[in-house]
Amino acid sequence: MVKLKYFGFLFLGLFLALLYFYINPYNVNYFPKCPLYVTTGIYCPGCGSQRATYELLHFHFIGVLKQNILYIVGILILAYHLIISLLNTVFNKSIYNYIYHPKTPWIILIIILVFWILRNLPFYPFNLLAPH
Amino acid sequence: MDFQKPPKNYLIESILVTIFCCLPFGIVGIVFASQVNSKFAGGDYKGAIASSKSAKKWMTWGLVLSVLYYVIIYFFIFSILGITILSLGNN
Repeated sequence: MVKLKYFGFLFLGLFLALLYFYINPYNVNYFPKCPLYVTTGIYCPGCGSQRATYELLHFHFIGVLKQNILYIVGILILAYHLIISLLNTVFNKSIYNYIYHPKTPWIILIIILVFWILRNLPFYPFNLLAPH
Repeated sequence: MDFQKPPKNYLIESILVTIFCCLPFGIVGIVFASQVNSKFAGGDYKGAIASSKSAKKWMTWGLVLSVLYYVIIYFFIFSILGITILSLGNN
């Protein structure tokens, strides 16, 4: 049952990777759009993630940064967590994982909220943070 | 008190939910994640477990909503694509 779940995730991940590798969300208008952006015109902290996925799959890291800087931060945090968990469980190490530090979630929350406000300011240099 | 492992705080999952779809759910998840960590650090293990459960609940709702949102839109894309291909075949 657990194995089936992982196979499902693997299959879904492969499907999405192929989809976002071959179709550039910038050129088509039928991909799912951010509900907040569609209704209010305000960029949310996740806006640009689909285009960033496309850029990441083509190894255009500058493109990822242009679409959504938070995306890179999220990927780095995910990689950090996976590496530490892997070392701790597979190699029986006991490295402290900062994901469980009391201050970490607050710092991440503040980063997300500040990024959200800044990317909606319509003037230089903050308009660089908006997806484009 | 024995040394116990901190309960899962679902911080990573909440960040992913925030980035990929449903901001409000992700943010509530992050707030609960911080409660898990601070309660565990303060020795309140039961409270930390309760916060962990809330974090999981919000993260799951955000995940379900985002998957639904994506699936509905993809369903429309592929049905339109299919209809187009079928109607091309008729000509």
